[in-house]
Amino acid sequence: MRGARPLAVPQVLHDVLAQRSGRIGFVIVCLHLSVAVAAPMIAPQDPAHQDAAAMLQSPSLAHWFGTDRLGRDVFSRTLLGGREAMLIATLATVIAMAWGSALGILAALIGGRTDAIVMRFVDAMMSIPWILMVMLFVAALGSSSVALVPVLGFSYGLSVVYLARAATLDFVTRDFVVAAQIRGHSRWSIAATELLPNVQDSLAVQGAMQWSWILLAVSSLSFLGMGVAPPTPDWGQMIADARGIMQRAPWALIWPMLALSSLVIGMNLAVDAWARATGVERNRRVPGA
Amino acid sequence: MFSFEKQTRTPIAMILSLSAKVLATPLVILMTLASAAQAESVLRRANDLSFGGSESLDPISANRFYEVNDLIYSRLIRQDVDGRPAPELAQTWTANATATEWTLTLLPGVTFHDGSAFDAADVKFTLERVKDPALESPVTDVLGFIEAVDVIDPLTARIRLSTPHAGLPLLLMDYRVRMLPEGAAAPYGVGTGPFKLDSFDPESTTILSANTAYWEGAPKLDKIEFTAIPDSEARNQAMLGGQIDYNGLTRDQEPLYAGNPDFTVQSYPAGGWFGIAFQSNQPPLDDPRIRKALRIAVDRAEMLALMTGEGNGIVSCDTPVMASDPFRANLDCPQDIAGAKALLAQAGYPDGIDIEVFTADLEPGMVQYAEVYQQQVAKAGIRVKLTVAPSDGYWDDIWLQKNAVTSWSQRPADQFLNEAYRSGGAWNESHFANATFDALLDQARATLDIDKARALYVQAQEILFNEGGTLIAYQENGRRVMTSRVTGIAPQDEDYIRWHLVGMAE
Repeated sequence: MRGARPLAVPQVLHDVLAQRSGRIGFVIVCLHLSVAVAAPMIAPQDPAHQDAAAMLQSPSLAHWFGTDRLGRDVFSRTLLGGREAMLIATLATVIAMAWGSALGILAALIGGRTDAIVMRFVDAMMSIPWILMVMLFVAALGSSSVALVPVLGFSYGLSVVYLARAATLDFVTRDFVVAAQIRGHSRWSIAATELLPNVQDSLAVQGAMQWSWILLAVSSLSFLGMGVAPPTPDWGQMIADARGIMQRAPWALIWPMLALSSLVIGMNLAVDAWARATGVERNRRVPGA
Repeated sequence: MFSFEKQTRTPIAMILSLSAKVLATPLVILMTLASAAQAESVLRRANDLSFGGSESLDPISANRFYEVNDLIYSRLIRQDVDGRPAPELAQTWTANATATEWTLTLLPGVTFHDGSAFDAADVKFTLERVKDPALESPVTDVLGFIEAVDVIDPLTARIRLSTPHAGLPLLLMDYRVRMLPEGAAAPYGVGTGPFKLDSFDPESTTILSANTAYWEGAPKLDKIEFTAIPDSEARNQAMLGGQIDYNGLTRDQEPLYAGNPDFTVQSYPAGGWFGIAFQSNQPPLDDPRIRKALRIAVDRAEMLALMTGEGNGIVSCDTPVMASDPFRANLDCPQDIAGAKALLAQAGYPDGIDIEVFTADLEPGMVQYAEVYQQQVAKAGIRVKLTVAPSDGYWDDIWLQKNAVTSWSQRPADQFLNEAYRSGGAWNESHFANATFDALLDQARATLDIDKARALYVQAQEILFNEGGTLIAYQENGRRVMTSRVTGIAPQDEDYIRWHLVGMAE
């Protein structure tokens, strides 16, 4: 390992919490994660229970966030509405980071025609708007959560290839890499032991950002009816259901919107703080935006 | 007469005066136009561009521009408020003893918008073209059994059928079967209706003017204008903003007009429904006991309330036939969880059953319908895996192939039962096949006595409830909103509106 420090979680945490925006973001994200874990225990009502006698009720003691058009408790649904999307986002992020990093690092290391072919492939795939690509996959594979994980993992891994390759190119001509090649180390070995430790900060920051982008993507797909399937409550699905009644029952729309946006904003604040602490220039542009 | 005065005003005063004139001119023009519009009684409506601009003035086209065709053409027979056949351009209709020939006498003195007289040759032309394969009309499925039409004299036409059909007058009430002049060709647009076509642009504005020679009397309105607004919410905003005078309404939009004296909101019985078509030809749903269990586990009254609000529809015991249809079976079908469990146990599923139901966000409520179903039947041990399929291609790739949420608009009993349930029918969405059911429909078609025919249709619908594959929990009311100046429209389906009696109060 040359010039790289291990990705130490306590150190990262310390760096993030040292900044005000980092503290705010961290608290928001932790709060969301805690709620997501504890929601089945703390949700006061069955989120799928429909009640024709309680449709579109405004917030009350019985229903803190009011009820939706099927008389379901918006508070319970909001508490539970992020779980599935967060799980999908986590798994898809792992897949995106794994294949994207591996391909990007190897492309930079091997260089030449292999690098050119890989990057043209990635260019071609990235020229397709992500939502269109995901919709094509969903149309072909179905919209189950199981199908969404690899689809989003593939689609969001494309930008990781770029980032991993760019970060790796800074190091491939360094002496320690050349020395490892002379020593006869395999490409995989060089990638894993010499390059990965040096690009891990960039990749970790990118991974955290990918997570919030994928979360937004899952919610967008649910909004369009292609994400999380009922009866599992989901913020995107709740927003879609409530958009036609926003003047009549704004509470059915506001709470899932607040939940989703606060989580994404919290994640952004935390990641920004983290990027500043590690000196990583993070890509602020949302893919496809 | 012009006069020149000595200029004594300051430059600033001149600029102000000129500005006032410049500003006033368009205002005056607008006011003049507005007063002209007021002097001319115009009803402004919106069309939803559902065929993307290929809306057709051919009434039997799959892309028929219904709202406009309804105004410019007439039918032979229309329905009265009880859903029974009533004269329109046909004064009387009688069948031979075997119901294979129907003789119609036509209303004398009716003229088309181009001044030509309406007669039996026009009836022959209009009804015989229904079978023209080049037109690819969906009406072929409904009236394809018309073999030929004989012109007996200018006011008498005889319709010969390839199979007996006592319900022909009911089928002639179809909203698409409207009289064209003999030899009519694209782009069509000449009819005998209360309004004439002035200009036609389904993507922009279509203008109709009163047909003062209309056979039921000159319309009260001078004009009806249609503006293309594809989005439901945009149409609603146009209504709220006073840019249109008449519009359909969804349940969610209705409260926006509550208590506002500028608008009149109407809810009226109609025959449209969402349902779930279970594939009766695929195991295990080929067992009628399972199909019945899947349907009787539903609390239809609660579903109606959840989906439409209180009092906005009528419960259906899986009959597609609307409440005002004389052939509807009015059965009783409360939720029966114990019965559903017992049927499932008899069929070999004592621990409940897993089924997959597809839906799509094609129309407001289609996903929720499946959500309500999923929740209600869970009590009977029916575990529904709900898949929201992409809207695009839903009717091609999912419908007719999977257990799927479906959506139908109202149509006469005979048409519905034959189109959607007869063995092997092209739109038999649940692949229901029952020889007794088919035979009952044949018998009903050949029965001239309306009460006997009704008994047969009711029997057929009872079979659907006991063995059928389609859940139909309710039929939803229609809703509309109008500016309160609009007169002459009762809270009834659009099909009943007599547009020549519609006016705009001052």
